[in-house]
Amino acid sequence: MSASYVAVGWNRQKKIYDWLIAGFCFTYLLLFISVTLIVNEQVTFETLLIRSTSTLAVLLLHVILAIGPLCRLDKKFLPLLYNRRHLGVTMFTFALAHGGFSIFQFHALGNTNPFVSLFISNTNFNSFAAFPFQALGFFALLIFFLMAITSHDFWLHNLSPRVWKTLHMFVYLAYLLVVMHVMLGVIQYENNPVFVIIILAGAVTLITLHLLAGSKERKLDKRKFSLEQEGFMYVCPAEEIEDSRAKIFCIDKERIAVYRHENKLYAIHNVCKHQGGPLGEGKILDGCITCPWHGYQYLPHNGQSPPPFKEKVSTYDVKIIDGKVWLNPVPFPEGTERPGATIK
Amino acid sequence: MDNKEFYIGWMPAAPGGLAKHIRKVVVILIMLVITAGIILALQQKKFSTATFEFGQLTEITGIYQQFPVPSIKAMSNLDASGHSSSLTIPLVGYGKSGAEGIIAELEKEKNTTLDKKTVTFRGTLLYSDGKTLLQIDKNDDPLTKISDAVVNVPPAIKELGTVRLTGEILDPKCYFGVMKPGQGKPHRDCAIRCIAGGMSPVFYVRNEKGEANYYLILDAAGKKMNEQLKDIIAEPVSLRARAVQYDDWIVLYIDGMNKITRTGGLSWFKTKDGDTYCGVSHTINVSE
Repeated sequence: MSASYVAVGWNRQKKIYDWLIAGFCFTYLLLFISVTLIVNEQVTFETLLIRSTSTLAVLLLHVILAIGPLCRLDKKFLPLLYNRRHLGVTMFTFALAHGGFSIFQFHALGNTNPFVSLFISNTNFNSFAAFPFQALGFFALLIFFLMAITSHDFWLHNLSPRVWKTLHMFVYLAYLLVVMHVMLGVIQYENNPVFVIIILAGAVTLITLHLLAGSKERKLDKRKFSLEQEGFMYVCPAEEIEDSRAKIFCIDKERIAVYRHENKLYAIHNVCKHQGGPLGEGKILDGCITCPWHGYQYLPHNGQSPPPFKEKVSTYDVKIIDGKVWLNPVPFPEGTERPGATIK
Repeated sequence: MDNKEFYIGWMPAAPGGLAKHIRKVVVILIMLVITAGIILALQQKKFSTATFEFGQLTEITGIYQQFPVPSIKAMSNLDASGHSSSLTIPLVGYGKSGAEGIIAELEKEKNTTLDKKTVTFRGTLLYSDGKTLLQIDKNDDPLTKISDAVVNVPPAIKELGTVRLTGEILDPKCYFGVMKPGQGKPHRDCAIRCIAGGMSPVFYVRNEKGEANYYLILDAAGKKMNEQLKDIIAEPVSLRARAVQYDDWIVLYIDGMNKITRTGGLSWFKTKDGDTYCGVSHTINVSE
């Protein structure tokens, strides 16, 4: 969390993360290139470049897409999430190397502009088997490009979190385009079914992880709160909420985090203003509710980030009657101070 | 992991329990990276032995012939019995272009025609499977010698009748040397661009023994039909054509696009090219 923008706010963890990414990429490229040269020595430099970068980018994309649901399923994966955008930009760099060089290789030095050629060479749009798979890859690359150049928090704040998040959700469309790019492209040339199996295994893994994570959240969202008293809903016994931690309740399709801090309960909107992280899965540190995704902080009694930060979330009224927690799901305007409820 | 542990990326270090878990994840990822790198590299289809002598210029002397495709007919020296053999070397231009453009430029520059004259071309050789091509590039000053007189050495022509063949239309420059793979779906756009640029299309057929045969393609009138072929390049097709042998190349005269039909479909689970890419119904039926 930073009050001003710097290209990368380096710290020890970030450096370790990036060194690991570099190590993985280097290891993969070294292995792919050297094994290919040993067993398939007739390969050309161009093909080696196109294939090594593309397969690495697809591998990284799978890891990137798995991190989100893994973190939803188990908080122990959260350290992978914090710098996920570094992984995304790295993936884009390799995808760009693949796409850029492929456009040069297959479309340059011809009788038309390479980018025009990309769309007018193979025009079998009405055939699934003969579909112009390169265009699919191009559009996926375009999405990755937009995501990479807007990956910095500067763009998140200037585009607004909602627009930014919407844009970055296009990664799933890009993934679909990549899968079809591969399935309708090189896999139709290769004889070995292992490539189809790998792509399908990757897709099944990602779909399963997302379904599991979704089902976990759905379970939470589907919980019914039937006891109502003057607009307050009974949610749980007070002792169920650990000190400095929260429980999340979904009422009227809004998730609310009820935090326990210094023997009092406070309720705030569960969605972090930064990237929509689940505030209720965070922890109170130095008196501030801290988002588990990127460490954005809010004061429990008013939902405001401590100065000089300006983020604010909605607050809610909460009360305790006979050791039971009652929550009013009507939000107060973002940043409104509420007294909280004292635990006796 | 201790439930009191909480990870924040902007702190200098991760809590012990979390760090331990992430170390395990890193080990799994290393294994994934190693496995993926090796498997993907090992399972690729073998590349051809086609060669493009990039950066190496060779001079070839022979008779330039405009038909059936711009090429040089290079003659071997006489053997003991006084016979010589010939090798037809089709010419291709730089990048994704045929040789016609540069030949026209050279003819204009020399103010003469090249057809049926003895010439020496300097260019870059590409070859595979017994076929040789020469790339000529204006920057290489390609025409080093030209005879004044026309040489009358007609090609050995043999009518082979009507044939039905199943195979793939490809561009010869990439297939015979420049790219690997120079055929199939991954290469389709490039093949389309090369053929649109004037490269003479070649029909590739693989027989039951796995041997490759190559044919030049012209329309029934002996004209190029590059533009018409655009939509069926680099995919399995069957065609019916009149076949005529000119020295060491066979020309297929195709009487209209209705004589070519697609045969392929999705080919995700084939085990060898013959299964879908190049069917085997290629027997030449002289009597048909």
